Amino acid sequence: MKKSEITQNFKFKLEFLLSSINLRIAETQLPLKMGDQEAEKLIHAIKLTQKLRGSVTKVFTDLSNGQTSTKEEEKEMLEDLQKSLLSMNDNLSDLEKISQSLPSTVHQTSNNISLVCLDPATDRTQLPSQLIHAHKWTNKVNRLSDYACQALQQATLRRTNKSQVGPGLSTKRQRRMPPVAHNIPASTVETVLNSLEKHLPDTSITVSRPNGSSCVLQITLSKTLKAVCVLRGFLIEYVNVKGYNEDFLSNDGKIDLWSKSRYKVFEKVSDLMMAGIQHYYYPQMPEITIRTFIQQWFNSYKTLFSAPCSKCGKHLQGGLPPVWRDFRTLAPLHDGCR
Amino acid sequence: MGVVCIFSYAVPEGKSGQQAVDMLQKNVELLGATRSGNFCVDCETYQSNSQNISQRLIHILHNSEHPASCFAALDTGTILVSDLLFDVLMSKLTAAKTGRESFYQQRKGFRIESRGQRYELWDFVIKIGSVSLASNFKGILVEVEYCPCVVASDCWNLIKEMAQSIVGNVADNPPMYIKNKTDPVYSPSDTVNQYLEHFNNFRKTAPQGQPSR
Repeated sequence: MKKSEITQNFKFKLEFLLSSINLRIAETQLPLKMGDQEAEKLIHAIKLTQKLRGSVTKVFTDLSNGQTSTKEEEKEMLEDLQKSLLSMNDNLSDLEKISQSLPSTVHQTSNNISLVCLDPATDRTQLPSQLIHAHKWTNKVNRLSDYACQALQQATLRRTNKSQVGPGLSTKRQRRMPPVAHNIPASTVETVLNSLEKHLPDTSITVSRPNGSSCVLQITLSKTLKAVCVLRGFLIEYVNVKGYNEDFLSNDGKIDLWSKSRYKVFEKVSDLMMAGIQHYYYPQMPEITIRTFIQQWFNSYKTLFSAPCSKCGKHLQGGLPPVWRDFRTLAPLHDGCR
Repeated sequence: MGVVCIFSYAVPEGKSGQQAVDMLQKNVELLGATRSGNFCVDCETYQSNSQNISQRLIHILHNSEHPASCFAALDTGTILVSDLLFDVLMSKLTAAKTGRESFYQQRKGFRIESRGQRYELWDFVIKIGSVSLASNFKGILVEVEYCPCVVASDCWNLIKEMAQSIVGNVADNPPMYIKNKTDPVYSPSDTVNQYLEHFNNFRKTAPQGQPSR
């Protein structure tokens, strides 16, 4: 084989190899996320490529120097060429080794390419899963509304039955139904409250109706506390308690139901009373409910400051007097002693 | 305005007044009370100048809890609560005019005041004041107020438990004034009366006063 042919062959082979290596390196640069190790490998590969390029250029420059006439010189040149070719070979094998360990992205690119023909927008939105979710949700709502419908139908039946049996007894039921609510007479409520006030000598009850039929009671209990109580018919809806030296008037002289007392003890008592009216909710006999509530339980708060706790025998606990009254015995208890 | 009980706290032997005050303050702070400023109750005494009737005393008191009011107390226990302008009236009454003596005369060296730190603890207000008569330390007055209640006999036990944790046995019995009170509802002038009682006691023991702070 002639020398020129050999060099030509080499040149082709080298160029092919180089181009393939360059391609691989370019591929590895594609993914944006990569670990530190990968980056290091990549940098190393680039350095090796540069080295290889250097050695290849050396081969070519050696070859391009041309040949000389003397045999010795030719031999020398061939030896040089062999050396540089060997070093080039080493560099090449190194580079090939490292390029194998680098991750290839050819697979991914081909995938992405296959997706180009699809519309990416519909694919990215999670429409199907959301649709399934919404469908399930609608189903659930449907089912619950069915249950509610059943329950309510039964309730209306019961209500009409009762009011047919004894209209006078179930005043609260009547109040709940719009047509009968007119019949619940404010006067009935007031007579009951008046008779209550007569039974309780040092308690004053003032009735006012700031907004329609619901009435607001302002109760002053001895010289201990003041309370507002919102009634709907005979149903106690809300209780707020303040000190004897505080009032329930807002700046413009109207009744202020919501403002809290500035004292911790009455804030606590308000909370406990709100809990207590749950106990005194007895729809069958509403009149008795309000009588027992005001006459007994509420009235027992007269001794809020003077009575010691029936359990621990002390007055103060956590800065508060015994703020709870037992429902049955009306015994004063600390909140922590209940 | 709630019910106030004032206790005179005897300074323990071997301690200065300031040390006793510091100890009380530490006690109150350990209970979890928060400081809420200073307070001052002062008292000036005037005597009548007219010759015909026996000499009468009038005490003018100010309480920082009621900063816009002036309390004028007679020996008989009658208290007039008025605006601060009463001070101006009093200065007119004490000023001598030409050809005529003044109606009242200020007693020299009789100005007494209780001054100190005010604390708040739950619904209680606690005041630890050191009493000084003409800038001489006289003793310590501890005031315990229970704000939500207006009837002294109702909440005495609550105040007692609180006060005992601060001043100890001194608070075993209610102050005489509270015991003898006829009107159930407590008012600011009752506080002033209690202070006046204590101030008069301090004045009586004036000669054996401790060195000033």
